[in-house]
Amino acid sequence: MAAHGIPRYSLQAERTEEGRQKELHKIEKYRELDQSVRDKIAKHQHTPETLQKISELLTSNPEYYTVWNYRRQVLRSEFSAAASAGSDEAAAAQISTLIKNDLLFTVPLLRSFPKCYWIWNYRTWLLDEAKRLLPVPAAQKFWQEELALVGKMLSLDSRNFHGWGYRRFVVETLRELKSEEQDGKQMTQTEFEYAKKMIGANLSNFSAWHYRTKLIQRLLTENAASDEERRKMLDDELDLIHRALCDPYDQSLWFYHQNLMCTFDPSVADQTLAPKLSDAERLDYLRREIDEIQEMLDGAEDCKYIYQALIDCTMLAWKVEGSAPSGESKSKVLDWLAELKTLDPLRLQRWLDFEQSLGR
Amino acid sequence: MSLVSGPGRAVGTTPSSLNLSVERHVEYIKNLDSRRDELEYWLTEHLRLNGVYWGLTALHLLGRPDALPREDTINFVLSCQREDGGFGAAPGHDAHMLYTVSAVQILVTLDAIDELEKRGLGGKEKVASFIAGLQDKDTGAFMGDEWGERDTRFLYGAFNALSLLGLLDTVDVPKAIAYVQQCENLDGGYGIQPGAESHAGQIFTCVGALAIAGRLDLVNRDRLGGWLSERQVDNGGLNGRPEKLPDACYSWWVGASLAMIDRLHWIDSGKLAAFILRCQDSEAGGIGDRPGSMVDVFHTHFAIAGLSLLKFDGVQEVDPVYCLPKTITLKYLSR
Repeated sequence: MAAHGIPRYSLQAERTEEGRQKELHKIEKYRELDQSVRDKIAKHQHTPETLQKISELLTSNPEYYTVWNYRRQVLRSEFSAAASAGSDEAAAAQISTLIKNDLLFTVPLLRSFPKCYWIWNYRTWLLDEAKRLLPVPAAQKFWQEELALVGKMLSLDSRNFHGWGYRRFVVETLRELKSEEQDGKQMTQTEFEYAKKMIGANLSNFSAWHYRTKLIQRLLTENAASDEERRKMLDDELDLIHRALCDPYDQSLWFYHQNLMCTFDPSVADQTLAPKLSDAERLDYLRREIDEIQEMLDGAEDCKYIYQALIDCTMLAWKVEGSAPSGESKSKVLDWLAELKTLDPLRLQRWLDFEQSLGR
Repeated sequence: MSLVSGPGRAVGTTPSSLNLSVERHVEYIKNLDSRRDELEYWLTEHLRLNGVYWGLTALHLLGRPDALPREDTINFVLSCQREDGGFGAAPGHDAHMLYTVSAVQILVTLDAIDELEKRGLGGKEKVASFIAGLQDKDTGAFMGDEWGERDTRFLYGAFNALSLLGLLDTVDVPKAIAYVQQCENLDGGYGIQPGAESHAGQIFTCVGALAIAGRLDLVNRDRLGGWLSERQVDNGGLNGRPEKLPDACYSWWVGASLAMIDRLHWIDSGKLAAFILRCQDSEAGGIGDRPGSMVDVFHTHFAIAGLSLLKFDGVQEVDPVYCLPKTITLKYLSR
């Protein structure tokens, strides 16, 4: 969309006359190519030659969305031609080859421009065409290979927003295509392992933690987990995050922690992994959580996230109890808040608002 | 009248002062159309109409509403309209939600919506029918174009343009709002689609759509405000997700979202303004994503809009919901 992280040109990079002439020549070439593609499409010339020109144009400019649309038009007419020539099997084989080649065409582009929406969109379209036009096993194969590709992309940039969204989408489609229940469960388990692996590689990967949140819930639903099993999962997750938080300065971890704390919040518990805890259980968990977090303070007294979590957990306990802030727990919250006001000057007004809401 | 949207050929060095180089930025934007001898101009044709919106709005916010020739700008916008009523990025480019929204915003800014009636195809109703045709009747979501990509950006864009045209009732608003709610996460933020992680850009689009529909009551303000305020990093800049680098354009996505939920004071505005100013090229004009980065009109616009949210001296007031000058939305939305 725009320039991200590209260093500003220095004065020396000012164009020479020779450089200018070269650039003008490039512009002329580019515009000729653009015009020739437009002319061919206007004349409905959906030929291999047109496709070749389109490939050239997209290689020099993968953001040119209209040309991706032209490519779809050409492919559609090639699919139709294939479908009307020969047996069903021959048609499917031909269409498979067309889709395969086109998927291959986009790979180097995706590698050079991993954040270009239009390339991802185009691949989605191709794969949807596979779903629409090919027998299920053939379509499945394409989607399965796509999962491998997106895995590779995410190993190159583990926070790529498009990559994660795309992965979810590919997995959803594979579920549809597989349809049998057992396979669906298997997929959730495999994805859960994947998220685990990504978190293992980099604990700060908020994208992977988010995916983990979603997958755990799915896993529990698919396995029709009992309340007991859900509680076991919750305990394991708390254990995991406590161990991860040996580095308490990592914001991603605290957001995952905050997600888990929602389990004890009566107003959102139904969206969490253990929705049916009793109030007494919630309070019990919260008390243990407060103790656990307080221990983290040792040697990390300057870590603002700890104070924030302590306040959040205490407030949640008040909410579960239905009690107003008072007594010892209130004075503790005020102490933690005093730390926050010093440690987190950027958000001072947030803490002052909070202080006011406590009625001090 | 069309502006190049890609990186600028900026030659300046790191700014030393903390003033907004208004004149330099105005000149930078005005000159974007005269760069046809640069390959970048042609390689960014697919952003042209967005670029005009970014440039024009930035000029308005800088108090120079007449810096671009009005008539030429209107002519260019109308030349991008397609048979189906939607707009492409440039003449001959396919219609898409993103450019249609920019077209409406530009025409509103120039008080030229009636030109759609006089010279466009089928008046504003035709534009609205293109947009309404992109709503998925089952889920309430919006697609970008006939090829079907779904993204909360498009839903917001549809609400933005249709409400400016006074035709929001041509789509299923309650269904769209239910879809936005499905995009909400436990951290109070919103993602690109249901199930996707929270992202400041998508939060802006979801909160903006809720604001236009008068449904900000659905937002968990304290929780979302907390998440958004955590976007500010030590150098004063804002990032879009946890553990990412700051970027001047997030001054807008994060700042406007905070403003819509009355929590803009939860970040340090002085430090944010200083970060934005350090991203300027105060010699050649324009603003980049980070100090020392190449400038472009996208970042120039959103950085200036960010300064406007902070009530920076000399910058006109921006509407945090529409990203248009407040004087203009006040006039249009009260009609």
